[in-house]
Amino acid sequence: MEFHDNYPSYETMYNHDEAYGKKARRTLWNVFWIMLIITIVELVIGFLAPSKGWSGTLGLKVLFIGLTIAKAAFIVWWFMHLGHEVKFFKYVILVPYITFMLYTIFIVLTEGTYSGQSGNLTKIDPILVDQQEQLRAGHGHAAAHDAGHDEAKHEEGHH
Amino acid sequence: MAHTADAHTAEIDSKEAWSGGKSPFGVSYGKMMMWFFLISDALTFGGLLVSYGFIRHKYADVWPKAENVFTHFPFVEQHLPLAYVGLMTFILIMSSVTMVLAVEAGKRMDRKGVTIWMLWTIIGGLMFVLSQAWEWYHFIVGTEAGWVRNVWDFEKGAYVKEVFHGANMIVNEYGVPQFANYFFFITGFHGTHVFSGVVINVIIFLNVLKGTYEKRGHYEMIEKVGLYWHFVDLVWVFVFTFFYLL
Repeated sequence: MEFHDNYPSYETMYNHDEAYGKKARRTLWNVFWIMLIITIVELVIGFLAPSKGWSGTLGLKVLFIGLTIAKAAFIVWWFMHLGHEVKFFKYVILVPYITFMLYTIFIVLTEGTYSGQSGNLTKIDPILVDQQEQLRAGHGHAAAHDAGHDEAKHEEGHH
Repeated sequence: MAHTADAHTAEIDSKEAWSGGKSPFGVSYGKMMMWFFLISDALTFGGLLVSYGFIRHKYADVWPKAENVFTHFPFVEQHLPLAYVGLMTFILIMSSVTMVLAVEAGKRMDRKGVTIWMLWTIIGGLMFVLSQAWEWYHFIVGTEAGWVRNVWDFEKGAYVKEVFHGANMIVNEYGVPQFANYFFFITGFHGTHVFSGVVINVIIFLNVLKGTYEKRGHYEMIEKVGLYWHFVDLVWVFVFTFFYLL
């Protein structure tokens, strides 16, 4: 306190009155409804995807990641009030983070490809491949464990 | 240093911003440092999720589908894929809303409002942590049918059948063990964050009851813990997408 006689009180600077609060609350609830709708849409699409054959398609991935980033933006901008901060502070928070994340994704996508080259492929345990075949054979999880699985193939595979 | 009602932002002259005597960011030291901490924490989670994405892509053909793994719902016998995690996501978003309402009440110096909304936030956080524990429990215990796998019997010198239920760090009934590894690590790391968030919220809640912030003349501490709590919600949004949807 002795250092800064005129140091502004940032702790109370953002306080507001009842009228402003009412407006702010309405905005927050709107943001909540938007986020809830996005989540429900995601769940419905996720639920329908296997039967409609959307699973694993590029479009689905882009859609889900896009909706996720939209939700993240709502949280950061409205719930964390980054939208209300000074412009320079927004940049200080967002620019380094986005830069580093884009770089990480870029470097994994480019430098990570070596692991897919034939000489560097991880030797997946044949047991795991077999497990996956079991799962694929049946629809869903429980059905995969029916008796009568091809036993001869096991013996062949492992000896 | 007045603020306009529309922009709700402290107006700072860019020419004077760096001349000393005030924060060029227009925020208090504590709030700025909370943001910086969250950036570092977000980088950790970002690294984990990018690594997850890499392994997920590498083992794309043997990666278990989440809708086949997480099919349980409390008190319901039917298989309900994704329903429970949908509920968990709803609880966490809801607790984020109650948190932001507590922050809003704090800005009006409304002690009663802060108390009520903080309490709801704590309840939501606890519900989420317990749901997480329930999810882990079912993942670890696994299905009744389990997975019939071949294990090498050294004494017999041959493969023998063995039924394995659930998942641990080495074997996973549902698919490649990396799925379980990443699931335990990332949701565990996130769950730890939620748990510590609940603990911090309880401490702040007790301070509100004691009137600490009333005496201090502002409720900025609510905003600081609120930032942390929203961050936890933010991470879950990504975990939810990458683990359950993609």
